[in-house]
Amino acid sequence: MDNTKRKPWKLPEGFAIGGVLVAVGFLMQWGVGAVDWNVFSWPANIIVLAVFVLVIVVMHLLRKKVYLFRFIGHYQAAIPALVYAVVLTIIMGLTRQEANGTWLNNMLSFWPFVLIYVYIALILGVIILKRLRTMFNGQRSMFNDIPFLLNHFGLFLALTTATLGNADMQRVRMIAAIGEPEWRALDSHGVVKEMPITIELQKFIMETYDDGSPRRFASEIKVLTKTGKNIETVVDVNKPIEVDGWKIYQYGYDTQMGAQSEISIFELVCDPWLPAVYTGIHMMLAGALCMFVKGGRKRV
Amino acid sequence: MSWEQFVYFAIASVLLWAAGAYTAWKDKRTAAVAFTVSGLVLFFLFIVLFWISLERPPLRTMGETRLWYSFFLSLAGLIIYSRWRYKWILSFSTVMSLVFICINLFKPEIHSKTLMPALQSPWFAPHVIVYMFAYALLGASFLISVFLLFKGGKTTPTAMRSSLSAVDDLVYAGLAFMTFGMLFGALWAKEAWGHYWSWDPKETWAAITWFSYLVFVHYRLYRPQSVRPALWVLIVSFLLLQMCWWGINYLPSAQGTSVHTYTSFFSSPEAPDAECVFRFSALFKMV
Repeated sequence: MDNTKRKPWKLPEGFAIGGVLVAVGFLMQWGVGAVDWNVFSWPANIIVLAVFVLVIVVMHLLRKKVYLFRFIGHYQAAIPALVYAVVLTIIMGLTRQEANGTWLNNMLSFWPFVLIYVYIALILGVIILKRLRTMFNGQRSMFNDIPFLLNHFGLFLALTTATLGNADMQRVRMIAAIGEPEWRALDSHGVVKEMPITIELQKFIMETYDDGSPRRFASEIKVLTKTGKNIETVVDVNKPIEVDGWKIYQYGYDTQMGAQSEISIFELVCDPWLPAVYTGIHMMLAGALCMFVKGGRKRV
Repeated sequence: MSWEQFVYFAIASVLLWAAGAYTAWKDKRTAAVAFTVSGLVLFFLFIVLFWISLERPPLRTMGETRLWYSFFLSLAGLIIYSRWRYKWILSFSTVMSLVFICINLFKPEIHSKTLMPALQSPWFAPHVIVYMFAYALLGASFLISVFLLFKGGKTTPTAMRSSLSAVDDLVYAGLAFMTFGMLFGALWAKEAWGHYWSWDPKETWAAITWFSYLVFVHYRLYRPQSVRPALWVLIVSFLLLQMCWWGINYLPSAQGTSVHTYTSFFSSPEAPDAECVFRFSALFKMV
């Protein structure tokens, strides 16, 4: 198997590739500044995803011609990539993440961090195609292939769609007062937005335990939508309701007034990419189940 | 059914679980499974009757959540035992269940105490329990790897191979549970806070730990014969796990951003922190 002529590169070369990516990342950071995730809003994100998949397919097709493309489908590439991800994420874990400050405080838009995660996604894509090919050539057993694909494709899907879809996610807050239909909301920058949904607060509910600590926060609300829906419902913490692609969360209330609060604050979240991310997450859950059942049995 | 009757169910269940743990040590597998299942049925019967008399799911208070801890700990122990036949796992799960039962028995004054609204979720117990098991399994793999690295000089190649395959099994099972814990957490976070992943310090360290165990798994597949580097990866991974588990409580970078409050990622001038009463910080101090 381990034919040195066919696979001359080992872990050091794998680490070297990661090192090059980190170096390129530093240059990018210095040259063009931090990654601006906002540019990935629809339809840029779907185009980027399509191009990314195309690149993976091309790399797979050219694997016999270009050794590098073949190499990144091996452990020697995957292991260093994971080590780089561990190290960069540790840096993120040790530093305070906040909007202001240096790259250390903004690892999510720090080029080396982003490039290493993109590299991991690329490796995932390449090995998924590699496995699919051997699978359809009948070289492997389903017993090994299905868990492999669930784990790796699940992670690929969750990673790419969560990252690229993030720019399309809208999170706004709406402050609704009793008896006054509200359709305006504030985004995270404090900009007023008009929503396709109107919320009218009927009653805010706050229940406390004997010692006065909160037990339940909820709001009885009437929801009217532009699509003509008219819903009366209750929104509890942990039990958001979903209307026309928007999830409505109980978020806050007038803390001065407590249970007598005449307002209720809702968070409205719209994440059109959620089904794709959830597909990935559920594949990973199924993959973890397989991993538990199969265990560390040698898989050759 | 109320807390008054809990003690009888609890004692009977613990005795059955202890009998299961004992027979597991004695290699009487059928008896071990039968005892543990009986204990689980009895314990679940209490939960169901209690549920009916409360007229709501018992998921609201700390005491009620502890019921689920005890139940799921024992259940997870049984699943792992049926699959891997570790003799010690039923003892571990019985002791862990007993700890939570004892808190409920000896601290009755906190039965009805404050489970914050954000914690009143069906995800809460599974999320915490699968992590407990992940930690237990990965802890066991850590102990074996320390032994092999520092005391294993005299081990015969055969003993070495079987210890290594035990390590592999433990890591695979532990990593599977860790993946469950992390993804249950993500699904819960979406329901509670509107997003499944927010790179909160706890989540960041969970990702680090997860990737680190992936390094081990892939390295084992890459170089099955090269043992020492793999064992070192396992030791480092377990240290990272400690950071994720409790270390971040002492980490300056995680202070103030307050574990699981998310204010740093979604704050705005008109929403002062005090308003975020639903965002909790207590979860990981509770377990």
